[in-house]
Amino acid sequence: MTDTPKFTSLKVQDPHTKNRNAAEKRFRSYGIIALAIGGLFLAALTFTILKSGLPAFTQYVMKLDVTLSQEQFDDAESQLLKTAVYRDIFVDNFAAQLDAQGVDVAYDAAALERMLGKVGGDIRAHYRENPNDIGVPTTFQLQLSSRVEGYFRGRVTRDTLVDSRFLEKADLDVVDVLRDAGLMTGRFNWAFLTGTDSGVDNPGGAGIGASVIGSFFMMLVVLFLSLPIGVAASIYLEEFAPKNRFTDLVEVNISNLAAVPSIVFGILGLSVFIQFMHLPQSAPLVGGLVLTLMTLPTIIISTRASLKSVPPSIRDAALGIGASKMQSVFHHVLPLAMPGILTGTIIGLAQALGETAPLLLIGMVGFVAREFPDGVAAGFLDPNSAMPAQIYTWAARADVGFYEKAWGGIIVLLVFLLLMNAIAIFLRKKFERRW
Amino acid sequence: MTDYKISAKDVQVYYGDNHAIKDVNVDIEDKTVTAFIGPSGCGKSTFLRCLNRMNDTIDICRVQGDILLDGEDIYDPAVDPVQLRAKVGMVFQKPNPFPKSIYDNVAYGPKIHGLARTKAELDEIVEKSLRKAALWTEAKDRLHSPGTGLSGGQQQRLCIARAIATSPEVLLMDEPCSALDPIATAQVEELIDELRQSYSVVIVTHSMQQAARVSQKTAFFHLGNLVEFGETDKIFTNPEDPRTESYISGRIG
Repeated sequence: MTDTPKFTSLKVQDPHTKNRNAAEKRFRSYGIIALAIGGLFLAALTFTILKSGLPAFTQYVMKLDVTLSQEQFDDAESQLLKTAVYRDIFVDNFAAQLDAQGVDVAYDAAALERMLGKVGGDIRAHYRENPNDIGVPTTFQLQLSSRVEGYFRGRVTRDTLVDSRFLEKADLDVVDVLRDAGLMTGRFNWAFLTGTDSGVDNPGGAGIGASVIGSFFMMLVVLFLSLPIGVAASIYLEEFAPKNRFTDLVEVNISNLAAVPSIVFGILGLSVFIQFMHLPQSAPLVGGLVLTLMTLPTIIISTRASLKSVPPSIRDAALGIGASKMQSVFHHVLPLAMPGILTGTIIGLAQALGETAPLLLIGMVGFVAREFPDGVAAGFLDPNSAMPAQIYTWAARADVGFYEKAWGGIIVLLVFLLLMNAIAIFLRKKFERRW
Repeated sequence: MTDYKISAKDVQVYYGDNHAIKDVNVDIEDKTVTAFIGPSGCGKSTFLRCLNRMNDTIDICRVQGDILLDGEDIYDPAVDPVQLRAKVGMVFQKPNPFPKSIYDNVAYGPKIHGLARTKAELDEIVEKSLRKAALWTEAKDRLHSPGTGLSGGQQQRLCIARAIATSPEVLLMDEPCSALDPIATAQVEELIDELRQSYSVVIVTHSMQQAARVSQKTAFFHLGNLVEFGETDKIFTNPEDPRTESYISGRIG
């Protein structure tokens, strides 16, 4: 008996095909779900960061025109309690301005101090630094206290406020009137970008500028050490080194080093660079050295991968016409591997830029960043912090005002990271062989 | 001095423990095309790569025996393989132009060997090499466009131009036409015939017809042995060894 083949229409799917198609459909939907979840998290993260961090970029101030005559200045400087005299001058000017604008509100000097802090010192400092302003009407923008700022942001309300020597409920009525009169307003907080860290009781004055400079000098060290060392090591290992047990061992250990927790590099930096070599504590130079150690494996691994991806036929072609090994590497292999090397390096640098733990161990904590370095050498050697360590320090402080500074710092850090990634993409496109 | 350009005596090649080339003796004449034929894996490409020490780049490869170029042992410790490769050029199976312009591809060899002192001299070498490789008419208007933008056959002729730009004495070709269509193949074969005027050419090929068309001498390799070596006409019409006869008549290989 012979089996006559049964006619099957191509238009009807057999069970096996049906199963395969269903499996593929399921797999695709898993992928889409995964993407959607990832996108959701990203959106939530971005929203939270922006919501919590953007307030750090505005600052609430009281604008006030003050006129100080030369006699008043001389008189104040001759007194024993100089700032008290300046405070009185300020209060007089404040009253005059309210009268001029027709604003009627009850207040006393103590309430002003609760809202603005001790303004006498600020005013005195201004006139001592700018003697030309004496006798001329000058507009002061005086920063409001942390609690009043909290009131503007909705963090402090009449219901939650407990009367204390810092702020009383009645003061909020004054604040409302002054705000409606345009005397108290918000403005872009340049001081956050250009300032230094402040004391634990003054979140309003805290700025990330000094730590940005600290991070910058650190990244210079990392770039100028890890790029040449990393690329040279990879070229040697990939192109010149004999393949034996020793180079195998080196290779395995480089991969292992890439997985070592960064805090281990911090301890290493502390014991080797600071305790043994006596390099200065909290210096961006030391931070850079530690981060170089951490970045090297990343750079070596990505450089070797991009060297490996250059087709061997290019090496053969160069050797075949009598180029030396080194000529073939430097004239042909390296240019082709360049986009990959640069991308790997910048990703390594970006990783180093966001690293916190090792910096804390070598003393680059946030409160060290109290002033800008004076010159390039000081930039490397003077105690400073770095952006992530500064953020960590702020986040750990008790005053809620620092909380939004921490988020604002994260925004600044992310802007730098995005910038570096953009540079990486630009370089890759520029060096990519388009044929 | 011998009369031969290259003479190999008792050459053995090992890849690790694998004895890839066994007792090969072959003499290659100047201004002659010598073809190496044989089934895949018979060692003909390996042996070709011994002639300019390209096998040095393979760690596990060991070469024993003598290979003399103009009577000098090329495996002598005093010989610098880089200098040797300038004399013994190589064209590979797959066209592998550098991802640079046509001009730079050809000029690279003369540049690194210091063959041209001025830009004019370099231009001349580039033109001469491209003319010899029969690529000048097609390439002269696009010298500065990328070499990888050429067609496969043009790319292979570019690689030949690149190889002859360094004025080698011997040109080794490892299946130069295997990636080309019949028309490009014909062009390259014609070129090989012309190159014979100036160089000693050694060509590895899978195509027996090609060997018969272009070569004067043919060597037949089988399982790492050189089975037969002689005049091409004789090998193809009246082989001495039964294995050669089976191969060229298509019974093995």
